[in-house]
Amino acid sequence: MPDTIKYTETELVLLLKERDQSAFGYLYDNYSGALFNIVLAIIPDRELASDVLQEVFVKIWRQVALYDATKGRLFTWMMNIARNASIDVLRSKSYNNSQQNRELTENVYANAGTTVTNTDKIGLRKVVHSLKDEYKILVELSYFEGYTQDEISKMLNIPLGTVKTRLRNALLQLRELVKN
Amino acid sequence: MDTRAYIESGIIESYILGVASPEEIAELELLCTQYPEIKAAVDAFALVIEQQAMAGAITPPPAVKENLMQQLAGEFAVKQPAAIFTLPTTNANDNISIQPAAGYWKFAAAAAVILLVASAILNFYLYSNYQNTNTKYEALLTEKNSLQASNGAYQTRLNLLQQSMDIVQNPAYTLVALNGLPGKENNHATVYWNSTSHDVYFLSTKMDKVPQDKQYQLWAIVNGKPVDAGLIGDCTDGLCKLKSIEGASAFAITLEPKGGSINPTTSAMFVLGSVNKQS
Repeated sequence: MPDTIKYTETELVLLLKERDQSAFGYLYDNYSGALFNIVLAIIPDRELASDVLQEVFVKIWRQVALYDATKGRLFTWMMNIARNASIDVLRSKSYNNSQQNRELTENVYANAGTTVTNTDKIGLRKVVHSLKDEYKILVELSYFEGYTQDEISKMLNIPLGTVKTRLRNALLQLRELVKN
Repeated sequence: MDTRAYIESGIIESYILGVASPEEIAELELLCTQYPEIKAAVDAFALVIEQQAMAGAITPPPAVKENLMQQLAGEFAVKQPAAIFTLPTTNANDNISIQPAAGYWKFAAAAAVILLVASAILNFYLYSNYQNTNTKYEALLTEKNSLQASNGAYQTRLNLLQQSMDIVQNPAYTLVALNGLPGKENNHATVYWNSTSHDVYFLSTKMDKVPQDKQYQLWAIVNGKPVDAGLIGDCTDGLCKLKSIEGASAFAITLEPKGGSINPTTSAMFVLGSVNKQS
């Protein structure tokens, strides 16, 4: 990167809101790798994930006016856009057709928690992989596949309260794993 | 509330990873505004996740950036070709870039504000100076008027005294000294009488204070009989002209009821003096 200018998060957001091209270039250079990590953990197909990443940056660019710095960090906001965009693709018909061996939406009860395969080395997946099974399923369904706690409760036939507690415990353990 | 338990409940992690329910999100965002320690825990975990993603960054194919720049080409702000200045950067962690146009306008706005404030201060200063001077001018004007008035008064008095001097120095006037009678020895008065023009002037040298309801009256003795020569009013400045008298041999002053009497009250005679014919 020949660009040696470094922005603080506040400056960067301000410039993005002013539609500054070099700020956008900086944003991409700085965060594309980390966001690609987020996308790839959900969409293992690199080509498809690249398309998703492009879409994610378009969304970030067009929605940056909605970002509220008082509510949280810029990356957290972008990460959520990346995750939601990825899950949207994951759940789309075309994606499911391309994944011939899996029918996630139609047979989710049977397949719940078992879709973790070749992406185990990527990002949070790597961490989640070392959780115990009953935690792993919950994180998989909620974070990687975007199911609500209510949906998960029905899928796994576990009371909603249990899903809630267990998911929270799973995330606390995940936190410790990420920290180390 | 027990913020510690809340922080350790796993809800913060759910929130940051985007798996919290809408109710949980609403509750957490509200609590963040009330408890700085909860907000701090949220930010801390967000940073952990960010750092983890950064550390595990996977460089996307270069085509993604190219495509993006092409796709968004029409949405970028048009750069001003005017002077662009960026602050030189030394520390990679703490660099600032200033937008050229914004910087210029900020500078211009700041300069304008400073000028405005300075002008306002100067105006205020000049105005208060003006007020001050005006007040002083008014005071001087008043003083000048009062001086002029008293000057006029002095002039009148001077004229009066001048007239008195003329009479006193005029050889046609005879000075008649009226001396206090027994019991009234402290009293003295002077009458200037012109035997030719018959004018009578009175000069109060030293007379007792007159009670409220009384008044001094001058009498001339003509052919042995008292003739009213006039009431003595306020006669502090020089001579007072009284009634003309012909052929007076003496003058006397009695204290009479206010308004005077036809015949003198001899018991209340204060001073008496006879005319010394010096012709």
